[in-house]
Amino acid sequence: MIAAPRRVRAAQELQEQAVYRYDQIDQTLVNERVAQFRDQTRRFLAGALTEDEYRPLRLRNGLYVQRFAPMLRVSIPYGLLSSTQLRMLGHIARRYDRDFGHFTTRQNIQYNWPRLEDVPDILAELASVEMHAIQTSGNSIRNITADHLAGVAPDEIADPRPYCEIIRQWATLHPEFSYLPRKFKIAITAAPADRAASEVHDIGVHLRRGAQGEIGFEILAGGGLGRTPIVGHRIREWLPQADLLAYLEAILRVYNRYGRRDNIHKARVKILMRALGVAEFTRQVEQEFLASADFAPQLSAAQVEHMRGFFRPPPYESLPDEPQPSSERAPNARADAAFCAWYRYNTRAHKVTGYRVVIVSLKKHGEPPGDASAAQMDGLAQLAEQHSFGMIRVTHDQNLVLADVSQRALPEVWRRLEQLGLATANIGTLTDMICCPGLDFCSLANAGSIDIAKQIHARFDDLDYLYEIGPLEIKMSGCMNACGHHHIGHIGILGVDKHGKEWYQITIGGSSAPPAALGEVIGPSVPKEAVADTIAKLIEVYLRERRDDAERFLDTVRRIGVEPFQERVYAADHSPA
Amino acid sequence: MRQIIRRRELVSDELRYEGEAFEPGTHGVPTLSQWLITAAAQRGPAVLLRATDELEPLASQLAHLRWIVVEFAKPGDGRGFSQARLLRERYHYEGELRARGAFGRDLLFFLARCGFDAFDPNPGEDLEAALGAFDSFSVAYQGGSEGIVHVHERAAGL
Repeated sequence: MIAAPRRVRAAQELQEQAVYRYDQIDQTLVNERVAQFRDQTRRFLAGALTEDEYRPLRLRNGLYVQRFAPMLRVSIPYGLLSSTQLRMLGHIARRYDRDFGHFTTRQNIQYNWPRLEDVPDILAELASVEMHAIQTSGNSIRNITADHLAGVAPDEIADPRPYCEIIRQWATLHPEFSYLPRKFKIAITAAPADRAASEVHDIGVHLRRGAQGEIGFEILAGGGLGRTPIVGHRIREWLPQADLLAYLEAILRVYNRYGRRDNIHKARVKILMRALGVAEFTRQVEQEFLASADFAPQLSAAQVEHMRGFFRPPPYESLPDEPQPSSERAPNARADAAFCAWYRYNTRAHKVTGYRVVIVSLKKHGEPPGDASAAQMDGLAQLAEQHSFGMIRVTHDQNLVLADVSQRALPEVWRRLEQLGLATANIGTLTDMICCPGLDFCSLANAGSIDIAKQIHARFDDLDYLYEIGPLEIKMSGCMNACGHHHIGHIGILGVDKHGKEWYQITIGGSSAPPAALGEVIGPSVPKEAVADTIAKLIEVYLRERRDDAERFLDTVRRIGVEPFQERVYAADHSPA
Repeated sequence: MRQIIRRRELVSDELRYEGEAFEPGTHGVPTLSQWLITAAAQRGPAVLLRATDELEPLASQLAHLRWIVVEFAKPGDGRGFSQARLLRERYHYEGELRARGAFGRDLLFFLARCGFDAFDPNPGEDLEAALGAFDSFSVAYQGGSEGIVHVHERAAGL
């Protein structure tokens, strides 16, 4: 057990940060959850619970038993962290793991080497900073994900985070929906750009404004990746704010009662929806929604207002916009060119004048995508306190974000990120890959992911060449469960097992941005050593065929189709060496 | 004599299932389909619901029932949670609602929150030890059974 002073200090620090703050109810709930899990683990270790009995219990606390060790997945609700919480994640990496953690596509963090006996203590440490691992796995409602630019994006219609937290609370230990046919994922976005991949979620919630300026929602359902990738369908064009939870309950109840439970691979809501047809599924949901009107939860304006209070804008200074950095004006050309590239690729517009969003790249050459060391987490926590109101976000493409950096602090922030190894100027480029832990850690995987990322990084290590290629999303999964979202990569890579060897199936043309699209397989899978070469051939075709610099790889694929790419990859190679 | 949990106490079971011997004071529990084909005047006060059973056929009959037993045939099958919630909240069933089958003490809290008030887990569960599981949590984010602080009270400033 840890000593009290750390907890007291952490609690004091949290008081000052702009994150949802636990009250007595929230804190009691996570504390009681820790006590419950401690007892369950004690009973398992004492032989009173069988592995079969313990499995669903540990899964609902994010604990998998993996290839080498248990894997613990900790929830980061809608990807939002305070510096205190990030420090705690670093502390856990240092004390209970091998000094690093892996940020995931559900905006969570995974630890690959904790000891089972330590997990109750880890959960207790997390509870001391208002965190938990509840429902990060198992057939339950998983972490609610959201736009990582929520609250700062110039294009959003309203801040979705109050609704994220409302849904998080509703979903947490929901007594009716804790033993669903299969896992259930909800994403929320309030911006047309949809940075939350909401179309490939079991439910996508889109904030909308009505005629009077009131907030309501468009609801999508039945999307998902995995073995049977499907883009979600809109089932409700306009849902009043008050009915949000009631409607979610209606969807979940139809799914809980009628989703298939005989075959794990056909158990997601997308399969039910496909079997019934969109119209019939929608009719059943609407019927359930109407029939539950007198007991379903209603969301009052007061509740929303209460929640909104936690997500008020931080105390921005009144600052002018700085001129965009340009290497031509620079006294120190080399350093400045690097800063300019970082500014261009790793920062984004902010809705407040004088501020900018900084994307912290976890895609450095030589490091597994999404991994961060304890020292990096500590360093970033400190940087956030000095330059971003003490807040950090996790993106679904496995990077971190300092969302509120004043433009005049950017050179300093860049310098510090450089020192931390977190300033690789590759966001949105080919080496900003999404990647699951793969065969190195995961017992489900058919093939390695991290080696492939390294191979691609090694092949495309010239930043100028990456910039010439332009925006390109590569997403890689080690098996068809698709944790790495390969179907919606502009280039998708899927690990397959062929007679005990690691092979890789390549898709092109996928996208998570509206309109979401699933990639098309280009042909037979390729051996491990040929993956980067294959990508290089795809890039070659793209650079040859694109109309101009503004046409992205994805646009070219959409315009000319997959055949020219297939021909290049699978043609006998007669090109001169 | 089989023991079950009823409102947090161990009691002797007065229900008998297919293949079990009747004694004075016990009641048989037919499946819903058996119950429905029985003439209304002959129907007993108990019925067994399977996970696939629809509730609508029962809706007008609930006043005649003292026991509804919801079967949990396989671990992890959560359909009975929805059946319970609907029976209580949509159809306002007020008799005993009993969960029977493949669940351990770790589900008791959720089951009770959905409206079950009696519990007959598969043999092997230490019922005495299981009683503590009802108090696993003193708070909840959802409405439900009484005695629990839930989030709506907070937001309403109560």
